Amino acid sequence: MPVDMSKYLSLFVTEATEHLESLGRDLVELEKTGGTASIDSMFRHAHSVKGMAASMGFEVAATLAHRVEDLVDAVRSDASLLDRELVDLLLSTTDTLLSQVRAAAEGQPPEDSGPIERQLSERLARITGRSPSPTKVAQATARPSAPPVPPAAPKAPAPAEKENPQERDAGLGLPPRFGLKVRIAQSCAVPGVRAFLVHKRLSGLGNVFDLKPALEDLKAGRIPDGLVSLELETSAGEAGVRGALGNISEVEVLSLKPVVFTAPSPPAPMPSPESAKVVGHEAARTVRVRTELLDYFLDTAGELLLATARIREVGKALPARSQPSLDEAVDRLHGLVKDLHDKVMKARMTPLSVITDRLPRAARDIARRRERDVDLVVTGADIELDRAILDDLADPLLHLLRNCIDHGIESPEERAAQKKGARGRVLVSVRRARDRVVVEIEDDGRGMDPEKLKAAALARGLITAEVAGRLSDAEAYTLCCLPGVSTARDVSEISGRGVGMDAVKRAVESVGGTLEIESERGRGTRFILKLPLTVAVVNLLLVAVGEEIFGLPIAKVIGAVEAEAGTLSRSREAALLPYAGSLLPVHPMADLLGIPDLPRVGPRPFVVMEAESGRVALAVDRLLGQEEVVLKALSRPLDLVPGLSGVTILGTGRPVFILDVPRLLAA
Amino acid sequence: MAKRVLVVDDAIFMRNMIKDIFSSGGFEVVGEAANGLEAVEKYKELKPDLTTMDIVMPFKSGIEATREIVKHDTNAVVIMCSALGQESLVMEAIEAGAADFIVKPFRAEDVLAVVKKVVGEA
Repeated sequence: MPVDMSKYLSLFVTEATEHLESLGRDLVELEKTGGTASIDSMFRHAHSVKGMAASMGFEVAATLAHRVEDLVDAVRSDASLLDRELVDLLLSTTDTLLSQVRAAAEGQPPEDSGPIERQLSERLARITGRSPSPTKVAQATARPSAPPVPPAAPKAPAPAEKENPQERDAGLGLPPRFGLKVRIAQSCAVPGVRAFLVHKRLSGLGNVFDLKPALEDLKAGRIPDGLVSLELETSAGEAGVRGALGNISEVEVLSLKPVVFTAPSPPAPMPSPESAKVVGHEAARTVRVRTELLDYFLDTAGELLLATARIREVGKALPARSQPSLDEAVDRLHGLVKDLHDKVMKARMTPLSVITDRLPRAARDIARRRERDVDLVVTGADIELDRAILDDLADPLLHLLRNCIDHGIESPEERAAQKKGARGRVLVSVRRARDRVVVEIEDDGRGMDPEKLKAAALARGLITAEVAGRLSDAEAYTLCCLPGVSTARDVSEISGRGVGMDAVKRAVESVGGTLEIESERGRGTRFILKLPLTVAVVNLLLVAVGEEIFGLPIAKVIGAVEAEAGTLSRSREAALLPYAGSLLPVHPMADLLGIPDLPRVGPRPFVVMEAESGRVALAVDRLLGQEEVVLKALSRPLDLVPGLSGVTILGTGRPVFILDVPRLLAA
Repeated sequence: MAKRVLVVDDAIFMRNMIKDIFSSGGFEVVGEAANGLEAVEKYKELKPDLTTMDIVMPFKSGIEATREIVKHDTNAVVIMCSALGQESLVMEAIEAGAADFIVKPFRAEDVLAVVKKVVGEA
């Protein structure tokens, strides 16, 4: 019965990856707290990976996991063995294993792990004083055809058959004694355990005498030729003894003879067969679903919502007498589809821990490279967000963490001079605030210098001296999100890898969130991400520009006003709209979009929105109202057009582009 | 009626594999549990003919779960799923009442041979 292992591959990859990631987290945690609570869990993770890899026939990975398991086991009995060097070694092993799992997923040969395996073995040898044991691996892929199933063993007597009336009737006097010789099969992987099971089973029947080899040797597997002999005083009878041994594998009864013949007495009361029927076993409470499938469900449920809106719209053209029944049906349909859509959305909700779980490891690595001592605290990671948002948030979050450690946290000496504790602290906290999720990343480092940020932005020509003079400190902090502005004296290996704060801000905004920055010199910096729970449904302000209709995300709209052209202020050629005590630069939407601007008289509406460099006023032709719509991603080539963030379809069937105003202005 | 099996392992991977082995051998897998706590609950609820039990699991080990299951039902048939290097744990499990054991990595024919010895044909 050859087993086709390929069908287990994806599950292997998923689960092994989870175990390895957890293992990495535990290691970091253990090094930090020095407690022993996570050792058992580490052992479990290593053990599981070993078992799975071995079953898949991935010998290299199984061996590595085995070594990790052995080392963790050693640490379990002596926690002082876990020094920084060992943590480093175990973490690199975890990384190697992860890459081997990935390689397996792609059908690639595993990364060479000879050097690391040797390091592990050496370390193990140093600790335990012996060389590591080999790892047994299934030959699942190499075996051309499995050996035939061994001939069915003599059928084990079912409990009821053991009840031999003749034997039972004859029970008198002392229990009889039997001499017994058995052989443990050569093929048995763990003869000691097998023999122990025999001993245990026989002890259950009566008293064992003259056991050879002695129990200790037996348990240790020291069984010459697999031969075990003993005498057993039991009232179970020969059939009882044979029955007890008959259902143990890998054991052959060589001889079983009565030492003193006496008719056997009745066996122990027999079990009543379990007759309780369980009607319909409970299915597993959770299933794994491929994320692509979830995306498809959401997309389809969204299409259904749009289609329903379309039916409602089309129905308006029907004669009045058919309206009520159609409305009723459409209402019902809409209710069902909305419910379905909500459920699908719910299924996509994933706890933030999926991404925050990686942070402690990252924090450790960054801190070590920068020679900082940092404690990372994560709270509220069980709060859930749409997976699509989470996917886009992983890199920005990591970047902000790097930013905090790289640029925020001072060196231990500098901290001592500032009378701060030697260890820096980065706090990642997640909380729900009505329909938003707020993620804050906060350090207790040196804080940002608004003047330096302004100077840097000025030097790069991103702002004018006039603007720089007007900027408040809070506004100045957001300058670090402009491309090319960085106050770090050196571009470190870690932060300077192209993912700047501008990319962070863009990523956060592309999922409909906002990024705020608070900072205090000498006290630290706080990045505040306010995120929607989901990206799929957005609230839009619909505006008309010429003949076209566009959607603006309400989340970014600050307000809307009507004003006569004559009331606008002018600074040189640029029009400025007075709004809430300040003057906002006016951008005619028609110009931005390359649509002919209609000549008009009288007041026109302006939409005030947040853009890169502060608030702006967008001149539009009409405000059409607010609508909750299902956002659809753009496909090629539309996704390349700067300033478009998505598309939706109105009930009228009319497609409407959703504008990304900051990018539109930048284009 | 096919013999009814409860499969206990914290890895879905292992559970699926064990389930497939049992199905191929004509057994009916009636339930799964991912840790010792769940195992005991599921056992009481399902009363399987046979339970396969991983040893190293979160919350409650397979040994502890076996002890509780056998205490609850002295006729319970629990087969430990062990790995090389776990000899002493398996012996502990046998002390706790496990009927037999299988050693990872599993081969379907070995597993079925052990199981059929213990509980008879499917």
